[in-house]
Amino acid sequence: MTPEQDEAEAARQVRERIAGQFGRSLHIRTLDTGSCAVCEQEIRLLTAPHYDLQRLGFFFTPAPRHADLLLVTGPMVRAFDVAARKTYEAMPGPKVVVATGACALGGVYRPDAFVHGEVSAVLPVDVWIPGCPPSPLALLQGLSVAVGRLTEKITGLTFTADNASSGGAG
Amino acid sequence: MPLWFARGLRRGVVTTRYPARPDSSSVFLPTPPAFRPGQLTRETADRIVAACPNTALRRQGDELVFDVGACTTCGRCAAAAPHAVTSSGEFELASTSRSALVKTIPIRGGLR
Repeated sequence: MTPEQDEAEAARQVRERIAGQFGRSLHIRTLDTGSCAVCEQEIRLLTAPHYDLQRLGFFFTPAPRHADLLLVTGPMVRAFDVAARKTYEAMPGPKVVVATGACALGGVYRPDAFVHGEVSAVLPVDVWIPGCPPSPLALLQGLSVAVGRLTEKITGLTFTADNASSGGAG
Repeated sequence: MPLWFARGLRRGVVTTRYPARPDSSSVFLPTPPAFRPGQLTRETADRIVAACPNTALRRQGDELVFDVGACTTCGRCAAAAPHAVTSSGEFELASTSRSALVKTIPIRGGLR
């Protein structure tokens, strides 16, 4: 077994363990690292009756010590470094970090004196949810992927459209 | 009021069954672009790269590199080249690896 296979096998075992432990009940702590608050607005919509996050066993918690999953939004401003690390360290293991939105994924801000530009510069990110903002449905899919209930879909997508359906000029 | 919401209220069911069942409201979501490789010349590619306000698009030789994670679904690329860019209709974009979000699209070009 090569080191890469070994690593992949270890990653699979960790994922299974997380799915087994978090499969039925998962507590989420949100962390705003300088976002414009639209991601927060979509996250808050998850608790509204239409999406009803609690039916899936997901709950929001105000304390990182009670949280299993850290839902991070924003481009990670440097002023937030200490607070972000303290929040992560206060969470009991095993823990999952989810980067949410284009800012957190490094698409909007470049690293400079004020921002890191992406969450993975400070915290070890496990799941990435694109979108600006990600819709509540996209967040639900991301959370389901994080606990291993759904498999990710993005790897199979090519983002190319069928040429025959185009009505444009050649 | 969206129709799916009114129907839900009439039936007394307002909670979506997603992710077990597709949500009818998902067709209204803005989604990242999909590209038509046959329509994508180097000139078109450069035009849509220039139109992108983020770091989502760049051209590497005969390939267009599209970072889905950096896309804000603003639609400026589709406005710049409507014949080569359309909406993908995909919103389930979560990934367990950052590199899986970066897609390369071939530029066949040479049509003009």
